[in-house]
Amino acid sequence: MTAPDGVTDVRRTAETALAWVDAHRAGFTLGEDALAVDGEADRSWKPLGELAQVCVTVSRHTERSDPLHARARALLDFAWRETEEGDLFLRLHRLEPFATYPLEVYATLASAGYRHRAFEEAAAVVARTRGWRLTEQDPTRRLGVLRAEERCGIRRPSPAPEPPLTWLGGLPEPWTFERDAGYALTHVVFHLTDWGDDAAGLPPGLAAYLADWLPPWIDTCLEARKWDLSAELLAVAAVVARPAGDLPPFDAWQVLRAAQRPAGELPLEDRDPPPEEPGAPALPADDEWYFLHHYHSTLMAAFAAVLTCERPAAPPAGTGARHRHGGRGAPR
Amino acid sequence: MEQSGTSTRLQAAVQGLASGVVSALRGGDHPHVVPAGDGAEAGDLALAAVRVLGADALLPGLVRPTPPDPAEVAVFRKAVEAYPPRPDAAPTVRWSHWGMTRALRRLDPSFLPGPSAEPDTGWLEGAGWQYLTHQLAVLAPLAVPGEECAVSALAARRPVDVARGFVRAVRRRDWRQAAGAGRWLTLLPGVPDTVGLEAGLDFVELMGGQDPLVVLQVQAARAARTGAPV
Repeated sequence: MTAPDGVTDVRRTAETALAWVDAHRAGFTLGEDALAVDGEADRSWKPLGELAQVCVTVSRHTERSDPLHARARALLDFAWRETEEGDLFLRLHRLEPFATYPLEVYATLASAGYRHRAFEEAAAVVARTRGWRLTEQDPTRRLGVLRAEERCGIRRPSPAPEPPLTWLGGLPEPWTFERDAGYALTHVVFHLTDWGDDAAGLPPGLAAYLADWLPPWIDTCLEARKWDLSAELLAVAAVVARPAGDLPPFDAWQVLRAAQRPAGELPLEDRDPPPEEPGAPALPADDEWYFLHHYHSTLMAAFAAVLTCERPAAPPAGTGARHRHGGRGAPR
Repeated sequence: MEQSGTSTRLQAAVQGLASGVVSALRGGDHPHVVPAGDGAEAGDLALAAVRVLGADALLPGLVRPTPPDPAEVAVFRKAVEAYPPRPDAAPTVRWSHWGMTRALRRLDPSFLPGPSAEPDTGWLEGAGWQYLTHQLAVLAPLAVPGEECAVSALAARRPVDVARGFVRAVRRRDWRQAAGAGRWLTLLPGVPDTVGLEAGLDFVELMGGQDPLVVLQVQAARAARTGAPV
């Protein structure tokens, strides 16, 4: 079956976004302060971890013969090399044994087959302590750490810990949605579904709630030009819609695509429209600020696009939330 | 400048009229929700304000057990007759006028307008949920318990979409639209419980309550929910 034009456009979003990421892989290098005690993980390990996660998802949802698959695998190899084949995780662990982010980043790479036995053994020792298990975290982060432990084969003593109560899990009034709640809820969905791989990981009550309220959230985030959160919400929409076979919100995707710069990158947010004329002044695309202002949105656009393209090209007749409500979920 | 001044005065008259309606809905001691005009211009302004507020100008008389002041009904009737929709009027204008004639027929048995057929709803068939909600909010005076029409039937088929529109309006801080959509939601079957309508109306009133037009819609919604004065 030929994919509808909308799917082709969404697929192109993934291709151009990942091409920009590939062309700017220097921005993801760990640098010398990756092991510094006062190093800024948000500028080193966080971008690398996000790169790894998105590439894991892209590689899972594309055929081996697909150039997108090859690019994602090459970027994963790059990310693994940046960690010195995992050695840096071990060294980081010796510096900060109770920090959770090394395990979280490692778990992503481990899920794609990149393993470092000594780090896993070290992490398991620390994870056996009550202190590790009692680390205070916000609920969404805690969910992520629990998933990272599972990915690394770390088993908490029974009974299994209760899932932490999150904003999304409490089914809040949807008009109370704000930016921080948005980031939290998207990551709850990502953790519950193994980053969109397992749509069935989303409890039916949450899926129905999201099907009802994602349209106004996406609409208003796009209107506010919060591109990264819009992309994350579109990824959630793809996961929610997959079991029902609903069509993606192509109108919303068109808005996001229009915000993508010609080289494929997407800003976090912007208040000014992108330069439309070819002769417009060149943006400082190699600037570190520019990278930090674009890499996350661009990765999320690729991530959401690949999950969206994974869905069936046409919905089964008479099924899905859209039909159930007789409504039109596509934002303008 | 003159037009702008007139527009400002009309807005003030509409706000004043809305405040009067709110007070009457709350059971206050404002017997005349329709302001009496003093002089020709003031009279025209009052009629125009009634026309802008539409059927809601008589809402206290429709939802409260006490009959409205005949003088109010007379002014309302003058407004209905003074501002018939033009042939090329927008659907919301035609429906708003139709809603006024419906209210008038309820309260003034001597009022026998010509054609009483409902306008059509073709412009809303297949509308996206954002536009649907916007148009329904404009036509919030049609959201009256027990008063069915083609617009309310259409809204009843789109409860989730109207609820989405309510969420969008709150997010955009468009309190008038949120209040109007919230008023419709009180009447529609099948609205997801998770929308939290009661708290939502409180929130809209809290944030937008300095605007009498917002308060009017919130009060009308509460009256619809409880079936009693609020």
